[in-house]
Amino acid sequence: MDLKLDPDDLNTCVQCGLCLPHCPTFRVTGEEAMSPRGRISLMREVQEGAPLTNEVIESFETCVQCRGCEPACPSNVPYGHLMEQARETLAEAGEMTPKWQRLALKPLAQPKMLEFGSKALSVANKFNLVPSRLGLPSEIPANQEPLVASGDDVYLFTGCVMDAWQRDVHRAGQRVIEAAGFGVTPTNDLAPCCGALHAHAGLTGETRSFATSMISALADKPVLVDSAGCGAAMKDYGRLLGTPEAVAFSERVFDIGEWLAQHVDRLPEVTPLDLRVAVQDPCHLRHVQKVHDATRVVLRPFVREIVELNDDGLCCGAGGAYSVLQPDLAGDIRDRKVAAIDAVSPDAVASANPGCSMFLGNAGVPTVHPMVLIDSALRGTIWPN
Amino acid sequence: MGVFDRVMNAVQSRNPGADIDPLVADLAASLSADRVRTDGASRSLLSHDASVFDGGVAGPVCYPETTAEVQAIMSVAEAHGASVVPRGAGTGLAGGAIPLGKPIVVAVTKMNKVLEIDLDNRVAWVEPGVINLNLTKQLAPLGYHFAPDPSSQQVCTIGGNVANNSGGPHCLAYGVTDAHVVAVEVVVPSGDVLMLGGLEAEPLGYDLRGAFVGSEGTLGIATKVAVRLTKNPPAVRTLLLSFSSVADAANTVSGIIADGMVPAALEVMDQRITQAVENYVHAGYPTDAAAVLLAEVEGLPGGVALDAERIGEIGRANGATEVRAAESDEERALLWKGRKTAFGAIAQVKPDYYLHDTVVPRSKLAEVLEQVYAIADTYDLIVMNVFHAGDGNLHPLLVFDAREDGVLERVHQAGEEIIRASVEAGGVLSGEHGIGVEKQKYMDAMFTDADMEHQNRLRKSFDPACRANPGKVLPSGHSCADIQALRKVPTGVWG
Amino acid sequence: MSLLTITDPVLLGFAEEVGTAGDVAVEGGRTRWSFGGEASPTARLVAAPTGVVSYQPDEMTVQVRAGTTVADLHAELAKHGQRTALPERGGTVGGALAVGENAAESLGRGPIRNALLQVRYVSAEGELVTGGGPTVKNVTGYNLPKLLVGSLGTLGLMAEVILRTNPTPHTSRWLKAEGVDPFAIYNDLLRPGAIMWDGTTTWVLLEGHGVDVDAEQQLLAPHASFAEVDGPPDLPAHRWSLTPKDLRGANAEVHGSFVATIGTGLLFSTEPAPAQEVAANIVEVSERAKRFFDPTGRLNPGRNPLKARV
Repeated sequence: MDLKLDPDDLNTCVQCGLCLPHCPTFRVTGEEAMSPRGRISLMREVQEGAPLTNEVIESFETCVQCRGCEPACPSNVPYGHLMEQARETLAEAGEMTPKWQRLALKPLAQPKMLEFGSKALSVANKFNLVPSRLGLPSEIPANQEPLVASGDDVYLFTGCVMDAWQRDVHRAGQRVIEAAGFGVTPTNDLAPCCGALHAHAGLTGETRSFATSMISALADKPVLVDSAGCGAAMKDYGRLLGTPEAVAFSERVFDIGEWLAQHVDRLPEVTPLDLRVAVQDPCHLRHVQKVHDATRVVLRPFVREIVELNDDGLCCGAGGAYSVLQPDLAGDIRDRKVAAIDAVSPDAVASANPGCSMFLGNAGVPTVHPMVLIDSALRGTIWPN
Repeated sequence: MGVFDRVMNAVQSRNPGADIDPLVADLAASLSADRVRTDGASRSLLSHDASVFDGGVAGPVCYPETTAEVQAIMSVAEAHGASVVPRGAGTGLAGGAIPLGKPIVVAVTKMNKVLEIDLDNRVAWVEPGVINLNLTKQLAPLGYHFAPDPSSQQVCTIGGNVANNSGGPHCLAYGVTDAHVVAVEVVVPSGDVLMLGGLEAEPLGYDLRGAFVGSEGTLGIATKVAVRLTKNPPAVRTLLLSFSSVADAANTVSGIIADGMVPAALEVMDQRITQAVENYVHAGYPTDAAAVLLAEVEGLPGGVALDAERIGEIGRANGATEVRAAESDEERALLWKGRKTAFGAIAQVKPDYYLHDTVVPRSKLAEVLEQVYAIADTYDLIVMNVFHAGDGNLHPLLVFDAREDGVLERVHQAGEEIIRASVEAGGVLSGEHGIGVEKQKYMDAMFTDADMEHQNRLRKSFDPACRANPGKVLPSGHSCADIQALRKVPTGVWG
Repeated sequence: MSLLTITDPVLLGFAEEVGTAGDVAVEGGRTRWSFGGEASPTARLVAAPTGVVSYQPDEMTVQVRAGTTVADLHAELAKHGQRTALPERGGTVGGALAVGENAAESLGRGPIRNALLQVRYVSAEGELVTGGGPTVKNVTGYNLPKLLVGSLGTLGLMAEVILRTNPTPHTSRWLKAEGVDPFAIYNDLLRPGAIMWDGTTTWVLLEGHGVDVDAEQQLLAPHASFAEVDGPPDLPAHRWSLTPKDLRGANAEVHGSFVATIGTGLLFSTEPAPAQEVAANIVEVSERAKRFFDPTGRLNPGRNPLKARV
C-alpha cells in the first residue's frame, strides 16, 4: 500500500547500518526488524507493494520514536518524520492505533477530563488497582494549587499529562525563571496539549489542530517548555503546518534549560546541593532538540557533582505512551538504562522529561527534574525533602 | 512473553491449517520457537546486508544464544541437508552474508556478551555478536583496546570482523583482525565444536585459526573468540595535511613509509568527499583542498613529537599547503568521525554509490588514482576517493542515481576497469571487504584454476559437504560455488 | 598466455625437480631437521631455490626465494634499515616458515605467521600454486599462506615468498637487572621488544626512538637498577609453548633451567616439553587437509605438525 512516504527520503537510506547500535529496540533484541534500517526497509517494501503483515506493523509499533538514530545517520535520513508519516497513513487506514488508544488520547485535550481521570487513577493506584507496568508514579498528586502568572516576559507551557501529574515541576521551573528576574505566564488553559503523543500514534491531524490553536492563543514571546517531548513537538510545528506563523512560533519555543542557560548568570549564587547527580538525557532533548548540554550548564552551579552515563544517551524506554503499549520491550530497554545509572551510583538522576522521570522512578531510580533541584538549591531546602 | 511470541502465536493461531515445515519444526525444537522466524518480514530483512545485492533469499532465521544452540542448528541443518549462513550486524559490503539458495540464516546478534577479560594473557573472550566499539569501550578503563577499527566499528560485530578479517584505519600499524585473534571456538558444519588456535605461544599443528579468519563464514560459525588486547598509547597526535593535488597526498604517504615510519593511520580523502563529510560533521576539514591526508602517530610522547614533525616536513616537501595538528581530543574525535562516516555522507550528493576496495602497492597510488579518475570520466560518472593510503587500500566510490537510464551498466564497467587496473599495478582485489558474491568473477585476475582449487581444498577440509555459506568467495566452476549467481550492482554500500 | 602464468625458470625448475611422483623431503638449513618427526629415509631430498628476487623498501615487502638463508635476507634488508619477524638461527626462509617458530623477541617483531603475505609453492601434483597476495593488506580468497606457516612442508613445498618487512628501530637497548618482577615491568612498558626472565634475572629489550627508549628506561628505574648489556641470555634448547599467564608459575623444579619470554608464553628450557594433547576433531580436520593437498602422502613423509615439539 502507499504509505505516502517521500521516495527521496526513503532513498536517502543506504543501509549502512550505523544506526543500529543507537536504536534501543535493536540493542535489547539484536533483531533487524527492531532497527531503524530494518524499519526503513520494510517501509520501502510495503510502499512498493509488499504485503502489510502483522510483523511489519509490529516492527513499526515497537519503535520508541526516540530518534536516537538520526544524529547517528551520516545521510541525514529523516527517520522520525518517515515513521510519523507511516503511522499516520496506517492509522488513517485503520491498520494501526486501535480505537482504545485513540480514546485514551482524547482527554489530553481536555484538562477537566484529564484532571478527573488523574484523580480516579490516583485513587485506584492507592488501592493497587493500576498495573505496575503502566509506570505511574507511586503517588499521583490528587490535589494541587493552580499556577499563577507573575508577569509576561515568557510563557511557561504547562501542557496536559505533566500538569496533572507533575505540577510541582512547573512550580519549581516558574520560581527559577522568576529568580532570574523574569515574569512568567503559565499557559494553563490557553494551550491544553501539544499533540506529541497523537503524532507518535499516527494521529497527526489532531496534532495539527492543537498546533493551530496554540499558535493563535499564545502572544509573541518566548514559550518555555519543561517537558522535552512537548518541546520537540512544538519546535516541529513549523515543519508540520508549513506556515510562516508556525515557523516563527517554533523559533520561539525553548526548552526551559536551553533558555535558562542564556541567563544562568542572573541567578543568585547559593550553596550547591550536596548531591552527585547523573544527567539522563531525554531522547527528544538530545536527539531531536539537541540542547541537552544546556541541562548541565544550568545545573552545574547548584549541585556538588555532575556525572555522565556511559551509554551514549540510549533511550530509557519511556517513549511517551510506549512504556504502556510495549511494556516488555520498554522494560528491557529500561534495564539497560538502570544498569548504566547504577554503574555511576548517583544520589539523584536529573531528567528533563516527565515520561522518562516517571518510568525510571517506577524502577526505583531517584529521578528529579533539573528545575526542581535548582529551585531546591535556590530556596535552601534539601532534596529529597 | 515477548512481542514476537505474541505475534507468532497470533499468526499460528490464525493459520491453524498451515503446514509446519519439518526443518522449521526441528529448529524450533532445538532453540525456543520465538527464536526461529519464518515470517516474510524477518526473512526479507535478513536477505540483505549493507551491500544490497538483490536476489538473496533467506530460509528460516535463527537467533541462537549459546554455542550449544548453534551446534543444534548445525545438526538439524545436516539432518535436513540444509545450508547455513552466519550473520552479524549485516554491515558487510561484498554480500558475504547474503543468503543464497534459501539457507538457514544464523544471526548471532543475541550472542553479545563479553565473557572474560583476562589481563594476565592480554585477551578477552567474547561472543561473536559483541559490537567492536563496545568491546573497546569496555576495555578503556583498563587501558586497553581492540585494535581493528573498521569504519563500521560502532555497529559491526567481532564475529563479522573474524569472518571478513576486517581492517580499519589503524590496521596500518597494528595489523588486521587476523593479528588480533588468538583463538576461535567454531561450530563446523558437522556440528563439531572446534577450538582453533589457543592462548599458548605456538599452538601445535596447522594454523587452522589463521585459515578460519577471513573465510567469510564458509568454514563454520564462530561462537567464541579470544581477541588480543592492545595497550592504549599514552600519546596520540593527529595531523591534517592539505594538498592541491591527490598525487601530492599520495606521494607524501609513500615518502612517510620510505622514511622508515609506520604511523598508526594514514588516510586520504579527495575534495568531493571532504566537502560531503564536512557538511555532516563540521570538523573543520578544508573544503578547498584537492586532497587531505589524515595522519595519526601514537606511542610515547617524545617519539610522537618527532614523528609528527617529520610527517609535516615530508608533507611540505611534497607540496602540502597546510599542516595542522588537532588541538584537542574533541577535535581529533570529530576528524575521525568525519573519516569513518564518509561513505554514508555520500547520499547527500547522489542517492546511490558503488564502493570499491582494491589494494595497490603504495608507490603506485598516484598512478592508479589518476587511472581511476580517467576511468570515471570515460564512463561519465562521478568518482570520489577516500582510502587507507598507508597500506595502499583504495576505496574509489562511484556515485550515481540508479533511476538514471543505463547508469548501472556504466557503473559496472567502470568498476571492472578499476579492479583490473589495480591488479595490473601489482595489487589485489580486496583489502578488507572480502570477496563474498561481489568479486568472485574477478578471482581469476589474481589466481589460476590450480590456485583456486587449492583454496577449495582448504575449504573442504572444514566443510566437505558445502553447507556453510555456499556460493561465496570462489567463482562458479569450483565446488560450493554454483548454488546461485548474483550479478547485480549494489545500490548503496559503504566501508 | 595469462598474466598469472609463472615464467621464472628457477621456479619452474624447482617444480620440475619436485616432480609429480615419489616421496620428496625438502632440505633447508637442517636447523630443525628432526622437528615433527624424522624425514622418511626413502624420500628424495630437494632444496628450494635461493636469492632475493625483488625488494622495495618503500613498500615494506620483499620477494625472496625460499632457499635463501634468513641471515642473507636480513643482511640485504639491513642496508635499508629493515628486518622481518623471521628468527635468525642459521636456517633458510622456507625452513623458518615451514617450522613456524617465532623469534625469541616476537613481542616486538610479531609472530612469524604475520610475516608471510604471498607464497608460491610446489604442490603434490608438481604444479606451482600461488596463495595470498603481494600487498601488505589483502583479504582476497582463502588464506593459504597461514595454512602453510608451520605446516612442515606437508601441504606444499615453498619455492618463493613475499614477506612483510618492518623498519628496524632507531635504537635497540638490552638492559638487565636482578630480582625484579618481570610481569610488573611488562605492564609498565608500552611496547617492549622483549622481556626475558630466568627466575632471578630479568632482561628487557627497549626499542624505538632514542628519546622513547630513554623514557622507558626511566620508567624501569623504580623497579631496580638496570644495567645495559649486549644482548639476551643464551637460550636453552627446548621450547615450551605455554600461555603468558603460565609463565608466572615457571620454576626450576618443573622447567629445569629456563628463560621465559614474558608476554608471549614461550619458555626456553633445558628440559623437553611434555607431549601436548590435540583435540580429536582438530586432528580430523588436519588429516582431511593433508589428504586433499597431498593424497598420496609424498610431501615430507614422516613429518607431522601435530607432533610434539622437541
